Amino acid sequence: MNEMIIQDVLPAYFQESRKDQSEIWGKDLHFEKGELIKIVAPSGKGKTSLIHFIYGLRKDYKGRIAYGKKNIEGFSAENFAGYRKNHVSVVFQDLRLFPENTVLQNLEIKRQLKPYHPPEMIPTFAERLGIGDKLDFKARTCSYGEQQRVSIIRALLQPFDFLLLDEPFSHLDDANSKKAMELMLEESHARNACIIFADLERIDYFPYTRLFHL
Amino acid sequence: MALSYRTIKPLLLTSASGASRWLSYTGLAVGVLLLLCSIQMFINIQQLLHRQGIRKGGYDFISVTKTVTNENMGMDNRFSQADIAELKNQPFIDDAAPLVPNRFRVVASAGEMIPFSSDIFIEALDHNFIDTVPPGFEWKEGQEVVPVIFSSDFLEMYNVFAPSYDLPQLSQATASSVSIILRCEGNLGSQNFRSNILAFSDRVNSILVPKSFLDWANKNLEGVDTVKSSRVFIKTKDANSPELIAFLDTKDYRVNKEKTIFGRSKQLLQGVLSGLGLFGLLVVILALMLFSFYLQLVVARSKDNLQLLLILGYSPAWLSRKVARQFIPVYFMVVLLALLVTQLVQWAFHHYVMFDRPELTTLVHWSVAGVALLLIILSVITNYRMVRRLLHKLSY
Repeated sequence: MNEMIIQDVLPAYFQESRKDQSEIWGKDLHFEKGELIKIVAPSGKGKTSLIHFIYGLRKDYKGRIAYGKKNIEGFSAENFAGYRKNHVSVVFQDLRLFPENTVLQNLEIKRQLKPYHPPEMIPTFAERLGIGDKLDFKARTCSYGEQQRVSIIRALLQPFDFLLLDEPFSHLDDANSKKAMELMLEESHARNACIIFADLERIDYFPYTRLFHL
Repeated sequence: MALSYRTIKPLLLTSASGASRWLSYTGLAVGVLLLLCSIQMFINIQQLLHRQGIRKGGYDFISVTKTVTNENMGMDNRFSQADIAELKNQPFIDDAAPLVPNRFRVVASAGEMIPFSSDIFIEALDHNFIDTVPPGFEWKEGQEVVPVIFSSDFLEMYNVFAPSYDLPQLSQATASSVSIILRCEGNLGSQNFRSNILAFSDRVNSILVPKSFLDWANKNLEGVDTVKSSRVFIKTKDANSPELIAFLDTKDYRVNKEKTIFGRSKQLLQGVLSGLGLFGLLVVILALMLFSFYLQLVVARSKDNLQLLLILGYSPAWLSRKVARQFIPVYFMVVLLALLVTQLVQWAFHHYVMFDRPELTTLVHWSVAGVALLLIILSVITNYRMVRRLLHKLSY
């Protein structure tokens, strides 16, 4: 599938008037593979909600979100499993790692689900993002910045058409953010995937093709 | 490369609730053991009693008489056509036939070989009610030889008193070869017939002759057309059915005491075993419920991990299969252990209690192993369905 359609979508708990101030809520949008989409909004405007709606974690919205021609609202639990395994990957703002498992185990659990990269790529990616020495540490013992980099690498170990980023650098300094962004751009480019990047503000090292204010 | 469950398995938090798990395993083992032992004992009793009961085509045949008391002595205690029709109409009685008696005097003698002569009675019964009907058990008017079916019990009684009267004891084969003279004397005349024993009956305590002979002799020697009988044979699926026994009691009919005493104890034993089996089934259900609570607890404790796996794209069906499959070896071992103990009990019962009687087998009956297998399949399926339901709930 080449496109993600967001049609007249508004969180159920938002007033209709929000549509007037937003370039996303209540609009008809088509995101194509290969695009780099930047969504900018201050806190409380619904960035995380939008990412969760597209990923299928929440259904409390009005309007229609479709992957290709299929409305994801009608997906079964099995359909969502396939959607997340093969087509859409995500970096959550709240990281969502298995705290009692090591960094390596966290990454392997995702990689083995639909191996896009061989296991040797895990240490390579970890080295590139500066957490090569953390692979055998339990996730809960890592700092937020380290956990965020684990979460980023995890999202890149599977095939995807769309990569959803929800404030992926909130715990990272500029230098580490740049390295992570480079890696994500490389991996997305290799898959000809679209990145949908929601953040508080614009950053220079994400060469977006379209910019939206939420 | 196949998706591996090994990396996922530690995410299922099972360790802290071990006591509840072992309790449910123990309960399951005890329940399955009770159930399997009850089934095996039930089968043992069926096999033991099947040989002893005189059944034909799955039916019991019992003779019924009217109880003679001080009050009804001297009255006609024979069965009328209406009585027989009423018996036939009962849902628990499949058929009924009267034992037609002779109305003339019959004297039997065995010639010179056995110097013995006695007044006897002869009866006729529908062939369907006789356990052994040999070929040639027929009589036509003018035929000099009357075939006889003799009660095995009567021969046994004869052999008991024969030595006291200096008479030879007889085997069934010898008795069959003895030629008997039947002298039939009635109001209208008398006639001698030659007779020989064609077969022995374990079921009917009587001396049976073909009905055509008895009808002819009653009519031509005594002048009687229809003869009422004192005994009726009934054919029933279960001589021990409570309905039948209650009906016979209300009608004041008597049945073979030995048979009903035996039947009543059989009924009692089967009742006790059914109760034990039901109790075992109840324990199995309770153990399965306990185990399902344990599984629910595991899923609840591992909720965050399972939810994250689903979020990452793991299929709920795959996860349910893996989680449910994890318990198959334990289930298998528990049920196998119960089956082995049942086998041990059966061996001990056969060897030490029944002294290796040939009616029973040392090995457990195949249906017991079948029930054990069914239990494993049933528990795995119910676990899988429950885990899948719980995971589907988690995925939204």
